[in-house]
Amino acid sequence: MRWFWIDRFDEFVSGSYAVAVKCVTLSDEPVDEYSPGRPYYPASLIVEGLAQTAGLLIGQISDFKKRVVLAKVTRSKFHMQACPGDRMVFRTDIVSLQDSGGIATGTVHIDDQLLCEADLTFAYLDGRFEGVQLFEPATFCRTLRILKLFEFGRDMDGNPIAVPEYMLAAEAADVAIV
Amino acid sequence: MPSKEEVFDKVREALVDALGVDDEDVQPGATMVGDLGAESIDFLDIVFKLEKGFGIQIPRDELFPDDILTNAVYVQNGKVTPDGLIKLKDRMKFADLSKFEKNPLVQDFGNLLTVQDLCNYVVTKVNAT
Amino acid sequence: MRFCQLDRIRELVPGEKLVAVKGLTLAEDYLKDHFPRFPVMPGVLMLESMFQAGMWLVYITNQFSHSSIVLSESRQVRFNDFVEPGAQLTVTAEWGTVDGEMYTLQTSAMIGESIAVRGRLVLEQFNLADRNLADRAVDQYLIKERVGQFRRLQDPRNAYNPAIAYSRQTNLNGSQH
Repeated sequence: MRWFWIDRFDEFVSGSYAVAVKCVTLSDEPVDEYSPGRPYYPASLIVEGLAQTAGLLIGQISDFKKRVVLAKVTRSKFHMQACPGDRMVFRTDIVSLQDSGGIATGTVHIDDQLLCEADLTFAYLDGRFEGVQLFEPATFCRTLRILKLFEFGRDMDGNPIAVPEYMLAAEAADVAIV
Repeated sequence: MPSKEEVFDKVREALVDALGVDDEDVQPGATMVGDLGAESIDFLDIVFKLEKGFGIQIPRDELFPDDILTNAVYVQNGKVTPDGLIKLKDRMKFADLSKFEKNPLVQDFGNLLTVQDLCNYVVTKVNAT
Repeated sequence: MRFCQLDRIRELVPGEKLVAVKGLTLAEDYLKDHFPRFPVMPGVLMLESMFQAGMWLVYITNQFSHSSIVLSESRQVRFNDFVEPGAQLTVTAEWGTVDGEMYTLQTSAMIGESIAVRGRLVLEQFNLADRNLADRAVDQYLIKERVGQFRRLQDPRNAYNPAIAYSRQTNLNGSQH
């Protein structure tokens, strides 16, 4: 089991909101045997899908330099289960940015039906985690490309979001044949 | 300008939402950390809810004077110096620091803030806008 | 269950509480992504382990009366500490209030004496047949599978193990309403 719980972004407006999608399928490892006879997609992974959508939205503000982690699920509410064949649409909006972290609200829909609502609080890793890096810039950048973040990403004025310089440099170094 | 009761009601609502405590737990004298179980991450949420509820801006160091408490000029041997206390009192006029003054251990500062202090703080911010 | 986020049940008092353990091993594939340079247990998997502890507590307390128990709500789930490979969580679900088919539980996960995460969860139970009578056979199959999954959470060495003790007392075919 890998740890990607959104398939790609559909919309991404820097510092504001993002929309991502995720297909629920029987080939998803956690789905098949989770509820034998009536498989559904675990609620905790729906929260993770929202957290990944919102976490990247908050991380992008600092060109992914601040280390953003999920610190609190203030509230989540589920109205139904997501089943194989469903396509979930995650929408998250940043509602507060502070020195130590940020807060986002999120909803998940399947077609026009509301599946989940949640409020999430993120923290920036502080001094206690000095020197701790979460990602390799080159692989992280490739993941963001796969998620189509730069393809759909726009700043507040509607201009495309550029790949940060340090990521481009890391990518170039990573593919160099020595 | 909101009445004292209105301020208290809104502060209580924010604390109930952010901390998952019951209405009746939120008493004016209750300390945020010791009595209501607030952790550092909760303050992000509380600040957001107060800012939204009262239409105010809350700079972090007004409620959490970490800059003073980690400054070697104002802290010696784990205690806030007399100069540091003056600085703290000036910054946090809304808080009752009289008990803290008697034995001003930095480690105890985190559990100082009460619900009443928070209400007082909100009133000063609302009055200033 | 491929997504089982508990390893063993340690303590079980129906209608009161369930205590289980869940270890984090470096062998988990997902640690390659979470995070490549800082492998720690994703917070939502801690949430899942607390949900599963609550789920078993409700199944056992109600003697598998309903086939499905799902997460309806979570409140103030706070992550206090990172869980690194080699660490073992003690996951506890405590009985709270019952409102119809909704169960509110206080849940936590500790590493030793320190809290890694805690929060309040609301679980909902139902039978598929309540919504569609034709699904009665699916309910029965689901309950049979759940009993089997529950037995796998027993202590393989200890003579007394709460999981087995309670599943023996339980009507294994489920007591369908």
